[in-house]
Amino acid sequence: MFRKLYLAYGMLVLGGTGFAQYHGWSLDRISQLKNVPKSVRDNPGSYRSVYGFYHHYTGGK
Amino acid sequence: MSAGTPPLSNPPPKPQARALNCPQCGAAIILRSLGHAETVVCASCHSILDAKDPNLQILQKFDAIVGEVPPLIRLGTRGKLRGVDYEVIGFQRRSIKVEGIRYDWHEYVLFNPYKPTRYLTEYNGHWNDISVCKELPVTQFASANYLGEIYKHFQTADANTNFVLGEFPWQVRVDEHATVNEYVKPPRVLSSEKTANEVTWSIGEYMYGADIWKSFNLPGSAPQAVGVYENQPSPVSENVKGIWAAFLAFAVLLFFLMAGFDFISNKGTVFDSSYHLNVGEPKGEASFVTDVFNLEGRTSNVEVVTTANVDNSWIYLNYALINQDTEQAWDFGREVSYYHGYDSDGSWTEGGQKNSVVIPSVPAGHYYLRIEPEVDPKHPPITYSVEVKRDVPVLGFFGIAFFALLLPAIAITWRSLSFERMRWAESDHPPIKIGNSDE
Repeated sequence: MFRKLYLAYGMLVLGGTGFAQYHGWSLDRISQLKNVPKSVRDNPGSYRSVYGFYHHYTGGK
Repeated sequence: MSAGTPPLSNPPPKPQARALNCPQCGAAIILRSLGHAETVVCASCHSILDAKDPNLQILQKFDAIVGEVPPLIRLGTRGKLRGVDYEVIGFQRRSIKVEGIRYDWHEYVLFNPYKPTRYLTEYNGHWNDISVCKELPVTQFASANYLGEIYKHFQTADANTNFVLGEFPWQVRVDEHATVNEYVKPPRVLSSEKTANEVTWSIGEYMYGADIWKSFNLPGSAPQAVGVYENQPSPVSENVKGIWAAFLAFAVLLFFLMAGFDFISNKGTVFDSSYHLNVGEPKGEASFVTDVFNLEGRTSNVEVVTTANVDNSWIYLNYALINQDTEQAWDFGREVSYYHGYDSDGSWTEGGQKNSVVIPSVPAGHYYLRIEPEVDPKHPPITYSVEVKRDVPVLGFFGIAFFALLLPAIAITWRSLSFERMRWAESDHPPIKIGNSDE
């Protein structure tokens, strides 16, 4: 019974991996926005990034 | 009968139990084994009587402990075991002592007038169906060979008979001792009992309490089995090899899947440009947009690779991948930082001059990047490049899949090893030896 369950589970894992790869999934977290005005192309400063005020790492060891 | 003799009008009567009286206390004694028993025990005064003697000579009298636990299967119960009808005619409680601790088990004598006597043993809810060996096993070192199968030595102990009830096909006595050697090959156990006069070999097969209750139509449910018994079949061990074989097959398939996707993936560069950032220049709008580039094919991922010649510094870029036609955007930020130095442990490095991000499920279309860089104001001029690739394989998924396939195989193997460790912990060959207290 364990073997059959594992076989089914394995097929599911392989199928899921192929599906994810084919549809271009990613492990990175990206914010998706809609209704970005076309005027941004002419005036990039009018666009406000989600990460605009993100506190990022500034130092070394 | 001659040809002229008329047929019997009445068939011979079915065998019935014979009732006698105990010569010690006068209580009724029922003999079920039709003359096959050697001894019979009076349930009232616990006298062991000679069943072959018409006067039931008293062979031994023992004092039963007050409040003795009765047999789980009452004497006289009938049931079908392995397709054969049996009646329970005898019961005994036996024990061994290991490191000062007494372990009791029960044995039931099963009778069928046309079949050899069978026995059921029960210990902590674990049952075994026992019968006498047809051939003499061959013992060698810590194993025994019986009918071509090798059994591993499990335990040697001195067994004592503490309580008897019913009928027995041998001269049973309370306090009789036998040296018991047990060899196991789950679900079977090979057992030898050596007394002063003889050695008896028997073979047993593990049975579950529920099956016993069903065979003998007993009320209620069987007592729950406690712990792991010497020949209890493992619920997982027989699957371990098969599962590892399946894992290897899946790993190979995963490799070919990864190789296949790597082969068919476009991985083409659709945009590549370098930029120069001089923080000393007069400040205006820091953000800018790139030229429009085309993403073709099915909905797939996009990789944005940022490379910068940072050295003990950093650069941060706010990105937005914007579809020129659908007003859809993917917003993300990436930092490229690289630090290195030397301390008491030696030289060290941290970070790198390259950063990569994969944007998921981006449909085909015309896109451009909006980029807004940030650097340390005191930093000298920086040069950085941005490369955009379409349809790249994400190896992380294959890594996750590999471990997702590996973990169940490890878990089942661990469970199997734990089960076997519990089994052999009760044997003369435990997997972990416990030191003496005076060491």
